[in-house]
Amino acid sequence: MSSREPFEDGLEAELLALGELIDVPAPPPTDVAAAVRARLESTPGPSSDPATPAPDVDHVPDDTPASGDMPGSGGTPGPDPAHGPYSTPVRPARSRPPGRRDDGRRPARRSRRRRWTIVAAVVAVVIAITAATPQGRAAVARILRFAGIELQVSETTPPPVTTTASLPGERTVSLPEVQSLARFEVKMPSGLGRPSNASVADNGRVVSLFWPGGVRLDQFDGAIDPIFFKKLAPPFLDFVKVGPYQAFWLGGEHPLGYIKREDGTEVPLRQAAATLIWHQDTINYRLEGVRTKEEAIRIATSLQ
Amino acid sequence: MDDDEAIARSLDGDLAAYEALVARYSALAHRTAYMLGAGDEAEDVVQEAFVKAFRHLASFRRDAPFRPWLLRIVANETHNLTRSRGRRAELALRLGATADVAAPDDPEGTAVATDRRTRLLAAVRALPERERQAVVCRYFLQLSEAETAQVLDWPVGTVKSSTHRGLARLREEVGNEFA
Repeated sequence: MSSREPFEDGLEAELLALGELIDVPAPPPTDVAAAVRARLESTPGPSSDPATPAPDVDHVPDDTPASGDMPGSGGTPGPDPAHGPYSTPVRPARSRPPGRRDDGRRPARRSRRRRWTIVAAVVAVVIAITAATPQGRAAVARILRFAGIELQVSETTPPPVTTTASLPGERTVSLPEVQSLARFEVKMPSGLGRPSNASVADNGRVVSLFWPGGVRLDQFDGAIDPIFFKKLAPPFLDFVKVGPYQAFWLGGEHPLGYIKREDGTEVPLRQAAATLIWHQDTINYRLEGVRTKEEAIRIATSLQ
Repeated sequence: MDDDEAIARSLDGDLAAYEALVARYSALAHRTAYMLGAGDEAEDVVQEAFVKAFRHLASFRRDAPFRPWLLRIVANETHNLTRSRGRRAELALRLGATADVAAPDDPEGTAVATDRRTRLLAAVRALPERERQAVVCRYFLQLSEAETAQVLDWPVGTVKSSTHRGLARLREEVGNEFA
């Protein structure tokens, strides 16, 4: 740690010493290494998996944080593997570390594991919010996560968003430019004709195509971690299919926002029109502004 | 085999080389996840972080140090977990068994030191989230300001000010008799 600044303060020295005394349960490193390897072996990496077109390889400068002083500034997002390609939830048997506590918090561990399993099956994830509901979310009965979108389902209709905001770093680009600025392969729905407009946001993570009449198709990478959030109340959605893929049809207007992941704060975007959401391979899609479910599914199926 | 060589071989698909890299950083990764709020789910977070790091290894800039890059992924994963739990990250830090070992010739001094440590730890736990994260990274994980900035994805100025505010609050809470 050559970059370490000298500590002159007694409290700082005390904290350093205290840190050394803190007990952190961890399995043996070789077990972790073996478990990680088992997962990697069972799910080929981007370089060898044609279904996963290594979205980051073309964007090395954008994806790699400066090792210098200001990784959070200058618009570079830093690496974002926490929102990377879909990974199949292979959970090899792992040995428990000896003497590990079992203090009743295992249900939480299980729910996280279950989350993986369910995402793999391309079914919505339901996380019941029980006790300890945080302030401001008291009205949220449950959260579903699907296709990179967090659906916050309330008992009562959430108040509409009356303002509009754009996505972080969103800018209009020409159609030919879109692909070179996106982190993934951009698809066009042949069922809609040529878009009138296109934009790229959040350093290529989100691509939006626009058609007259308020129709838009957002495409974004990452199948597991939510990027957008929507607030809904029952009857909030229909489970439908886009070809072989599971999809959700949200038939009514609803508040839409973006979860800005760097610090977890939510960015309210606008009151969204009816939307179809689904994911194919590692990319998520939301098609907004098409009036009927059948028409939205027809357009979604024409994606190529 | 140093980090760079392990990374080069991993990029060529050599999983044994990556396994070595995982083993090397496993303890630090667990410590980071645990202390940033993953608690008992640190194991899940760490495995996931290593899997993601492997998949994104091509985007890692080779002239940069691997450690803060990896810890940034661990911190992201931890953040996702705590956010999905919808509540403030728990900081269930416990002093290890060695913390209470008494010095046989000075039982009273040992008791005072133990009490102070316990109070200091409780005060760290009670810090506002940003200050706590800064203090945990700077002192408990012994990261430099620049590394902390990278791991938490904050400007260095924010690391400095959060650390400063955290220290001031801790000083208020437990006094600073060693200064």
